[in-house]
Amino acid sequence: MTDILFLILSLFALTGAVGMITLSSTMHSALSFVVTVMALAGLYALLSASFLFMVQIIIYAGAIIALLLFIIMFLNIRQDHTPKEPNKYMTMLLIAIVLAPMDYLLFTAFARMPHIEDFSTKIDNFGDIKMLGNALFRGWLLPFEAISILLLVALIGSIVLARKKERR
Amino acid sequence: MNTVLVAVIVINIILALLFSLGAAPILVWVERRVAGFIQDRLGPNRCNINGFRLGGLIQSFADMLKLVFKEDFKAKAIKEKFVFTLAPVIVFVSAFLSYMVMPFADNLVIGSQTFIMQGLPINLGALWFLAFAGLSIYGIILGGWSSNNKYSLLGSIRAGAQVISYEASMTLALVSLLVTYGSINLVDMVNFQSKLLFGFIPAWGIVIQPLAAVIFIVTAFAEANRTPFDIAEGESEIVGGYHTEYSAMKFGLFFVGEYVAMSASSALIVTLFFGGYNLPWLGTDTLKENFHTIMLAIIVILPLLSLLFGRWIIKNNVWPSRDDKRNNESKWLIRVLILINIIVIGILGCFLINGITETTTNIAVAIIQIATFAIKLLLMNFVFVWVRWTLPRFRYDQLQNLGWKILLPLSIANIFLTALVVVGLGV
Repeated sequence: MTDILFLILSLFALTGAVGMITLSSTMHSALSFVVTVMALAGLYALLSASFLFMVQIIIYAGAIIALLLFIIMFLNIRQDHTPKEPNKYMTMLLIAIVLAPMDYLLFTAFARMPHIEDFSTKIDNFGDIKMLGNALFRGWLLPFEAISILLLVALIGSIVLARKKERR
Repeated sequence: MNTVLVAVIVINIILALLFSLGAAPILVWVERRVAGFIQDRLGPNRCNINGFRLGGLIQSFADMLKLVFKEDFKAKAIKEKFVFTLAPVIVFVSAFLSYMVMPFADNLVIGSQTFIMQGLPINLGALWFLAFAGLSIYGIILGGWSSNNKYSLLGSIRAGAQVISYEASMTLALVSLLVTYGSINLVDMVNFQSKLLFGFIPAWGIVIQPLAAVIFIVTAFAEANRTPFDIAEGESEIVGGYHTEYSAMKFGLFFVGEYVAMSASSALIVTLFFGGYNLPWLGTDTLKENFHTIMLAIIVILPLLSLLFGRWIIKNNVWPSRDDKRNNESKWLIRVLILINIIVIGILGCFLINGITETTTNIAVAIIQIATFAIKLLLMNFVFVWVRWTLPRFRYDQLQNLGWKILLPLSIANIFLTALVVVGLGV
């Protein structure tokens, strides 16, 4: 059962990712990205990380991509507004070839992983919100705060860049 | 997989269906009658089946049938047919799924088994609601976009901006509640509220966290796209907003989805702030301990209430002409009322005489709690309707000002305050 679910979800995730790159309309790309994000959330749920599953849906699907769609609609991007890509598939093929060694590395790493029969979680409350919170705010407080400050800098930076310049 | 488990799961799913889908026609009826009352007119009260009007409730069913049998018209300009069809489905399904985690009663103990009384027995209730309530915006955005119509596009842009802005405040208001209750499980939250504050006030969320309650209720109105935040379909400005191009059951899905979303919001508000399935001053344990007294109280109070209701029916729905069909309705309603009384009093009398086992007590307490939840839900839905027909619509800039400049800072301040109090008291 888990295997079948995994196959279906990964199929959706991959199809969505391919669609996001190849589809020409911006709206369709964004929509197929939503499929990927939701499929990933499903994969997290399969790994019994229920909190991560919820957060994936709330943050990525519910907020970030919804914002993306909103901006696409707001700017009213039409087909003829987007830049022309005459050799799109050729470029993709070239990039795929350039990235092939990377894939090889990943596959060898995957093949050398120790073979495990039992994939069930070791503790009952694995992926629980309390455990995650304790780990994040006790063990990993400094990295957490550093990432928060990085996000804050990005936020303030974008506001500064987007603000209209004052007339002198 | 034993029989009890299957039975409880099936009953839970049926209850969730009844509370969400089954509530839609009733809410439509409540909306129209209350609108009529507020605007000093009657509202729908003529539609009937052989004299049975049920105060106009039949009208809702007639409307649903009409929506099903209407022509499903689609303009030629709509090119994204798949997205166009998908949009109402997303709205409906996400509203429906967000309802599935509302607890109708305390954890039910039968023998050695404990059941979570939710449509889906998930511990992360509040997060699940946020996740799927947030997804409903896709339906509105896609519906407006694929309609290929300026008004629809404007409507969905407005809806998108509104929901994204208000979701931030809603989540932050929820965070301060999580700090207070110390849990994300909705059942734990409700059980926290069954305690007493200073020994006599029920420790409901609205008493402990009044600011969070106000922020959450306001943002819940915005999330459900209800007046005063219904600029997405502001009919005086942009025809019908995102559903201008929709007809027949596709529109019906949007329409029902709106009511299911409203009902889900009310269910969460009741669960978080108004003690959920708890009767005030009577927690689950108190109910179980004093069940004999409560049975006696029900045996006394139920006939009295029925008598009042029956007299009200006779006063309002008995007509002078003898062959008036409407008299049938009163006659049958009163018979049903008497039947209910006889059955309930009979069962309770049996329990009183023969004694009552623990499992039966647990089930009876669960039934009382489900009824309490239903009544609270109806009252909260009434507040939604009441506000809709009383307040005018916000202007777009007023809406964004309220969201970002008032609600967001207030909810952040509330988190700090809550955290200070929780740490200071050391709870």
